[in-house]
Amino acid sequence: MIQATDIETELLTFLRRDIFAPDVNLTPETDLVGAGFDSMSLVKTLLHVEQKFGKWIPEGEITGDALANTRALAATVARILNEQ
Amino acid sequence: MSNSAAFNGSDQIMRTFDYELRRHGFAGNQCQIVLELAKKISSEKLRARLAAFQKEFPILNARVEKLWRPRWDIPWEAKREIAIRIHHSSAGGPMMIQQLLNEPLLVEQGELMRFDLIEHANDGTDVVFTWTHLLMDAVSAEHFLSAVSDEKIVLPKDNPQPAGAPEKWPERLDLMKKSVEQLDKFCEQQPRALKTRHADAPRELSYRVEKFSDEETKLIRNNSTKLCGPLGDAQFHAVIAALELHRLHEKVGAQTKSYILPMPVGLRPKGKIEPLFSNLVDMLMIQLLPEHLETPQKTVTAIKSQAMQALKDNSLGYGRKLAELFSFLPLALFIRVLKHGLKGEICSIFFGDTANVNPKLENFLGARVENFTHIPAVTPSPGLGVIFYYFRSELRATVVNAKTVLNETEAAEFATSLRQRLLNP
Repeated sequence: MIQATDIETELLTFLRRDIFAPDVNLTPETDLVGAGFDSMSLVKTLLHVEQKFGKWIPEGEITGDALANTRALAATVARILNEQ
Repeated sequence: MSNSAAFNGSDQIMRTFDYELRRHGFAGNQCQIVLELAKKISSEKLRARLAAFQKEFPILNARVEKLWRPRWDIPWEAKREIAIRIHHSSAGGPMMIQQLLNEPLLVEQGELMRFDLIEHANDGTDVVFTWTHLLMDAVSAEHFLSAVSDEKIVLPKDNPQPAGAPEKWPERLDLMKKSVEQLDKFCEQQPRALKTRHADAPRELSYRVEKFSDEETKLIRNNSTKLCGPLGDAQFHAVIAALELHRLHEKVGAQTKSYILPMPVGLRPKGKIEPLFSNLVDMLMIQLLPEHLETPQKTVTAIKSQAMQALKDNSLGYGRKLAELFSFLPLALFIRVLKHGLKGEICSIFFGDTANVNPKLENFLGARVENFTHIPAVTPSPGLGVIFYYFRSELRATVVNAKTVLNETEAAEFATSLRQRLLNP
């Protein structure tokens, strides 16, 4: 069982390093889309999840609600990873 | 006293397109943003703001220099002012803007941008900002205009900056090899762009703008989410452009086994516009076969799978790396290398999408902005392009065509059917 909090920590590290500018203050509650997160960012993030947790999450599984912020995205990713 | 700055790969590609346009008798790779203002603005205030920018950012005084590799030669002090010209028009504003689009900037003499103010009898004014694409991309240009208008916007001091550390030679060669392999694979299904169909037409670009109301934009966003997912606006726009391109080819009887769609990908870290005076866009080259264009769903699947593969292979940016590698070549030879790769083609259509990145242009130097238009340049082949952008959350699409490729009626029909399919895919 993978905890959503662990995924959240992992995603925050990845997003801060590979997606957002260093001076963007990204918190678990930051509005991702409002901060510039786009479709290519999403695919990069899902590829990172696959590399880190060994499961590909289809882009179609990610709804608008899941992109509200990193916490919501981590919760969605955790739910799908734990479904197997 | 002068300084210099290297071109990055994206700048170099823009320089090549500039050469290609001029070589065929067009004005060059220059773009426009037109701001329709509710009232007149002070040209003196604009002049003072631009002079301050020239002092703060010497790149605005630069000239292109070609020694071993192309570079900006940047004098510390401005040798010429950024031109501001004032015109009066009781009618015919759009025609005048089109004329200005086709009036070359003297890039070799350091004219990198100019402003034309078209003052109308009703006190409204069109600000026509024309800039060379060698200097910056469309997202930067939007931000630049915002900063010209609003002194509180702080811009980065270091311009331009290289786009990431250069790869080591073995990595560069590997990228080049992969690039050639990708183009070879594309050519197994030979792409053929629309050819010169109106050889006697003037060497000019023409454009038309499709504006969508708030309700129409919501409908298009809804269509986009249904087909491409919650962040799929740009993909949806690309899908519709590709479907309409296919229909156009079939209508005019142009034979091609595939279409090459270059999808721009912003290279700046999210949440940041800087560096401003630089092109930081890469092209994700997508190949679409006719069977991919049978339904919108099939087109989406083809685009998504190729985008994903490009990210998995880390192949995004092949073209840019190739351009960096070959930047020491004369442009005539470089364009031959580029075209040779795709057996004579550059792509099948130009496509741009600035998304909703810069909503700050509500006012310009104290006047309310009533409308906002992007006008890109396209090379004479394929001679057709479309850019999508938003103004006050309403979608706009500018279709631009070389008159040698599509006449006014054909271009208008393309724009109309693009509009209809965005609303009803």
